[in-house]
Amino acid sequence: MSERILAALAQYGFPALFAVVTIASIGVPLPVSLLLIVTGSLVAQGVMPLWGAIALATAGSALGDQIGYAIGRYGGAKLIARFGAMLGGPERIAKAEAHARRWGGPGVFLSRWLVSPLGSVINFTSGIAEYPWMHFLFWDVLGEALGASIYIALGFFFSDRVLELDAALGDFTWMILALLAAGVVGWMLWQYVRTKKG
Amino acid sequence: MAFCLAIAGTFIFAFRAGRYTRRLRFENEPIRPWMSVPFIAHTHHVPSALLFHAIGIEPQPHDRRPLATIARERHRPVEDLVRDLERALANAGHTHSSLEPPGGKAP
Repeated sequence: MSERILAALAQYGFPALFAVVTIASIGVPLPVSLLLIVTGSLVAQGVMPLWGAIALATAGSALGDQIGYAIGRYGGAKLIARFGAMLGGPERIAKAEAHARRWGGPGVFLSRWLVSPLGSVINFTSGIAEYPWMHFLFWDVLGEALGASIYIALGFFFSDRVLELDAALGDFTWMILALLAAGVVGWMLWQYVRTKKG
Repeated sequence: MAFCLAIAGTFIFAFRAGRYTRRLRFENEPIRPWMSVPFIAHTHHVPSALLFHAIGIEPQPHDRRPLATIARERHRPVEDLVRDLERALANAGHTHSSLEPPGGKAP
């Protein structure tokens, strides 16, 4: 699958870039980071214009994110009724909705570029939680523009090392996620110990 | 338990990211079927004409076909094209792990 997507990008350029980032943002697992890095390399080779690549990647990602948000917002209740038990039951879903409302803007913004594996889940939960659409759109476009700029710029500057760069960035993202998980669990442990002492 | 797992995960992924970052500086990019000839030429800093000639194609500046497509059109296994390109790159002073014998560099 990855080979075909990258071959399409190398051969067809912009239409392939737009289609893949849109589909991936809805939640289909596709190698978007590698795609953006290769786009940066193609920009460095003079095949694509820089600003066009960033604008198109941002627009495609934002479009896919809006679709994910709309699915959560208008189909969320039906999906929860059907698959709620699989997602941990109504209590857990209510907790996730509360988190989405509380962390709304910054959560959407950071999940576009720093912890991107969470992006499509946050689109969906933001829709379910009925986080205001204009706010969602604002933070989404801001985060996607930053994310696309970072990956395309890295691909531009390391245009002759795209595969190793993608592998390094992939592990770096998972490292950030593991660090966040350690922070959350550590904080919960500390709270627990403090309550026990008190 | 969850805390220990998260800390272990942080160190494992940091170590792996560091290893890939080191490779960024010292190793040549491997050749993949999705890459076009000009793309491979760019990643190895050689003229694309050299690589086009290596696989028996007249050089064209806007030929962005992936190797897989070229292989299909020419009824050749893509591995053959990759081998021809690696040989041309080795002759031009580059080395690839698949061409290197266990004890040293490719001839």
